[in-house]
Amino acid sequence: MSLLERYTQPAEQQIPTVSHVGEIPSGQPTCTITIDGHEVPAIPGEAILRAAQRAGFNIPTLCDDEKLAPAAACRMCLVNIEGYDRPMPSCHLAVEPGMKITAISDDLFKMRRQNLEYILSDHNAYCMPPCQVGCPTHIDIPGYLELMAKGQHVEAARLVKEVLPFPYALGLVCPRPCQEVCRRGLVEEEIAICQCHGYTGEMVMEMDKAPTPFPQADATGKRVAVIGAGPAGLTAAYYTALKGHAVTVFDMMPKQGGMLRYGIPEYRLPKVKLDKELNSVWQLRDTEFKGGMKLGRDFSIDDLFTQGYDAVFVGIGAWSSNEMRVPGEDLPGVIEAINYLNQNARGDPVPVGKGTRVVVVGGGFTTFDCARSSRRLGAEVTVVYRRSRKEMGAHYSEVDDAEHEGIRLEFFAAPVKVIEKDGRVGGVEFQRMALGEPDASGRRRPVPIEGSNFTIECDVLIPAIGQVPVLDWVDKDALIKKTRRETIVTNAALMTDRPGVFSGGDVQMGTRTVIECVAQGKLAAKAIDRYLSGDDMAVVAEEITEEEKVPELIDIVPYKPEEPQVRMPFLPFEERVRSFELIELGFDKAGAEKEAARCLQCVCPDVGRCHLQRLSLEHGLTENRFHRAEPIDYHDYEYDFSHDFILRDLNKCINCTQCVRICRDVIGANCYGLMGGGYDSIVTTPWNVSLQYTDCVSCGACAETCPTGALMMRERDLQTYELDIVRCIYCGDCVEVCPHGALGETPNFELSVYQRFGHTVLAKEELAAARTWKPSEHIPIGADETHRSPVRPPEVRPPAPPRWGA
Amino acid sequence: MPASTAASLLEGRAPDAVAKARGMAPDDLIAAIERSGLRGRGGAGYPLSAKLAAVRAAAVTRAADPLVVANAYDADPDSPLSRTLIVKNIANVLQGVTIAAHAVGAREAIVYLHPEADIERHAMEQDIAARREALGDLEVSVASGPGGFMGGEESALMNVLESRRAMARQRPPYPATNGVQNRPTLVSSAETLAWLPQIVSTGARADTKLVSVTGAVRSPGVYEVTLGTTLGAILDRAGGVAGQLKAIHVGGPTGGILAASRADTKLGFDDLVAAGTHMGSAQIRAIPQTACIVAEAERLFAYLAKETCAICVPCRVGTARVRGILQSVTSDIGRESDLAWLGELGDHMANFSLCGFGITAPSILRTTMRDFADEYNAHIVQHRCPTGTCVPVRSRRYETMAQP
Repeated sequence: MSLLERYTQPAEQQIPTVSHVGEIPSGQPTCTITIDGHEVPAIPGEAILRAAQRAGFNIPTLCDDEKLAPAAACRMCLVNIEGYDRPMPSCHLAVEPGMKITAISDDLFKMRRQNLEYILSDHNAYCMPPCQVGCPTHIDIPGYLELMAKGQHVEAARLVKEVLPFPYALGLVCPRPCQEVCRRGLVEEEIAICQCHGYTGEMVMEMDKAPTPFPQADATGKRVAVIGAGPAGLTAAYYTALKGHAVTVFDMMPKQGGMLRYGIPEYRLPKVKLDKELNSVWQLRDTEFKGGMKLGRDFSIDDLFTQGYDAVFVGIGAWSSNEMRVPGEDLPGVIEAINYLNQNARGDPVPVGKGTRVVVVGGGFTTFDCARSSRRLGAEVTVVYRRSRKEMGAHYSEVDDAEHEGIRLEFFAAPVKVIEKDGRVGGVEFQRMALGEPDASGRRRPVPIEGSNFTIECDVLIPAIGQVPVLDWVDKDALIKKTRRETIVTNAALMTDRPGVFSGGDVQMGTRTVIECVAQGKLAAKAIDRYLSGDDMAVVAEEITEEEKVPELIDIVPYKPEEPQVRMPFLPFEERVRSFELIELGFDKAGAEKEAARCLQCVCPDVGRCHLQRLSLEHGLTENRFHRAEPIDYHDYEYDFSHDFILRDLNKCINCTQCVRICRDVIGANCYGLMGGGYDSIVTTPWNVSLQYTDCVSCGACAETCPTGALMMRERDLQTYELDIVRCIYCGDCVEVCPHGALGETPNFELSVYQRFGHTVLAKEELAAARTWKPSEHIPIGADETHRSPVRPPEVRPPAPPRWGA
Repeated sequence: MPASTAASLLEGRAPDAVAKARGMAPDDLIAAIERSGLRGRGGAGYPLSAKLAAVRAAAVTRAADPLVVANAYDADPDSPLSRTLIVKNIANVLQGVTIAAHAVGAREAIVYLHPEADIERHAMEQDIAARREALGDLEVSVASGPGGFMGGEESALMNVLESRRAMARQRPPYPATNGVQNRPTLVSSAETLAWLPQIVSTGARADTKLVSVTGAVRSPGVYEVTLGTTLGAILDRAGGVAGQLKAIHVGGPTGGILAASRADTKLGFDDLVAAGTHMGSAQIRAIPQTACIVAEAERLFAYLAKETCAICVPCRVGTARVRGILQSVTSDIGRESDLAWLGELGDHMANFSLCGFGITAPSILRTTMRDFADEYNAHIVQHRCPTGTCVPVRSRRYETMAQP
């Protein structure tokens, strides 16, 4: 019997359906087929795919459902069968004894991948938001932008503060990894993501008490010491305090902020506002700041445990500048970069003023902080870097700005020696470099060119070629280990080998960006909380590794109309010379909302459940060759969100026709069909009306079977329902969603009608323990055995509307 | 005229055929048809006798009621072969249906027509009414398809007869075993069945074929030619080429475009496949020197993307994407890598498509890229149309985008 025949046979003649997770029923005649060289038992007449799935072969498919007649539409399950000159769909072809099947081969893999590329090229939808994946804190960017676009800025700030307690500061200083990957940027300008949360941060800063993402937990009685009041330390302190632990923050500097205060110049981050934002930590209960206390000088980690702290977080940053290792480095006039920024931040006198010739060596953020600060003091500044502009560690916008502010950039030059003049720096001799092979970091290694030396005359030289943490205190602590790069060793849960001592931020990673430090602070707070509640830290480490794994993205670039970025006002370049005023002037309310509304909300609720996503990842579909053509090459359908329970987004439909078949053949409502013609064919309702106006019975079978997010169940609000028993099809959805367990299912999985209309409500547990009732039996309900159900047992569907109370 | 004067589709008559066929045992009848060498005129050239035997066997083993469908749909609008046949020699069509029904034991037959074929439908209905008694217990009805190219595909036709959208079905199972409403169904073109009266009556060999000659010829129209005639000779029968011949497009919208130098290719199911195309709708179109072949291919794929039934991915999306690439070539924004890419997409379409539509469509790419590589190169390398006829219609082409 062929497969097609099977589905058009009367039910009693059909071959028993054997679930692919199940087994062949005993007594069922079987035959043997060969799949990829393995002999597999199969039922003659069943689909090859069924036999293969039962035997554990993973043949990809997007349009197959065991309940449904095969469509052979997605062409993913095609296999080579001996005797056929072309690949045949295994979901459709019936098993014949002795078939020899090749299910997996390189050719088939390539062809299936081509198929997926076609499907994705007409899948005008998004998968995961790359910004959220790109941000180290995994902040819910589409979420807060949506709230901002609606004008709910405090709510937006709350959402931001779930992972990022200092949105204003980060809005100004973050190098914006999120914006680099923004999907808007693929067709036009990216969203100003950072400046948007900067706006919310600035707005809530003016409130008496900053909003917290969640209410502070009740006091636990545990005490945590945080060493270092920089971004990592304060983030850890913030989230630890929210968990209800008492937190004391120690810092060697008198004031809070760490590098945010003492490293980043005023024109990038005003300290008055920084303080306002950081004070949100001290607004929490049981938080305390102790300035001027240096680890290793004023106290040790042992001291902290002696004082009764239950856990310690070390986030002391990297405060020691690297040396250039060239002769003459110790001459007067050579200034240490970090020290120089410190002095500027504190307002101490520095040996740079109007007309001073300054050379800054390096290409990172510190380099440009030093260079642009000097420029503002009136100096003639030259930045010298040994590679090209492309390899610079600083954000390109900062490099561009520096150039506009009148700073000279010199590339492909490395210092060889510092030239002495009158007992102090008089110039620096450089050697030209060329780019060689890429090194471990992927940047091309500079190679010196012989005899290309040249000199730049200067009064002050600032080497800014990276910093390392100061770890002189580690040697006294036998349990805490450090790497060769002078960083602290921790596991994935950020705990050192000494139990209860955690470490994060620059001191653990080496110098990194502020946002990465914040992300580590957040992770550390989580780990500390787990540690204090007595969890196994090895398990916690595993969990964190799993959570932080970068999920793979699928490349989908839909067609959307273009809309330019809302520009934030900036301080004009001419006003920046000799002024430490903040250069990013910030959005106003209207600008912020307009910019936030540009967000494509490129996130699909079906991520993780989507079979198209899974198969695309399995087939390594990292690029798609069908992007960016004319609008006519793609489809842009309207959403249908009008139905009470089922959301339809035709843009995600891949025409697998599963919903068509399940609605027609299983449910009987027949709401869907393939409409339109040729390439523009799409599965939708007749005349593309709202699902509301079809014979839809809201059973949700279509949404359940949909392999993508084209059909999804709406999140439901509770309300009073009026029940029309004539229309009830016993789908059981009400049972699924009832939050109070007021509705239940009988063991034979039909909806328990007697429970809904009888006089007593059985508890769910009682139902689960109940035996299967035969159709002829009366079901005793309630404690009162004399009361008989007026309804037949649920195995039997009423052939006609039942007469209640008869 | 064909060599065998007795056997002519448009002119041959065999008034005694039905009576004679009904006097024969079905197996003898099928054997007689096998001796005639009659192959399906619908395009694929499958031997009719094998099909008849399969339907008969399925009907016997399953005790099911078989059905005969004469496909007179003429999917290709430029190749009205069945309609010509019905207008010129309607008797042979209905007799052929009756004989086929006798061979498979069917008591029901359907003549399937294009919805626009009003005259033919009317004629057919009149003919059925006129021969009511001669038909005996055979019920012959006329059905109209939905219009469009796919309406004529044999499995889409079965869906139409079941009141569904004209979409192809995966085969196997073939219509011979699981056809309309799961009955064993003989789906055969009207032209094939129209051969049966003369085969039964005189034992004629089925050695002519109707072709539709179109394009740059002086007298376009439907002609009956002997199988084995060269394409050049067929064009000459249609009055010869007006102007200079550049290419011959054989087989309708999914057929390949052969260079003029292949005019000595013989008209035959196997000869055409060997040349890179297929019999298809038996349309033979003369393309003059003034036409750009890349643009011809682009227009064909535009038509296919409009007409695909959309059930399978390679055909629904593939035809549209190939069309987009060809369009960027004619708009002079093609790249050299596009040729290899088109070849790759063509192979995929031929291997992974569900029905003959997608399987044969890449022949357009294969033949044009083989015979007219210089025209592609003129567009891609020199950014000019070889005939100066292409107008750029798109400014953006498909680009590869890596992960964001």
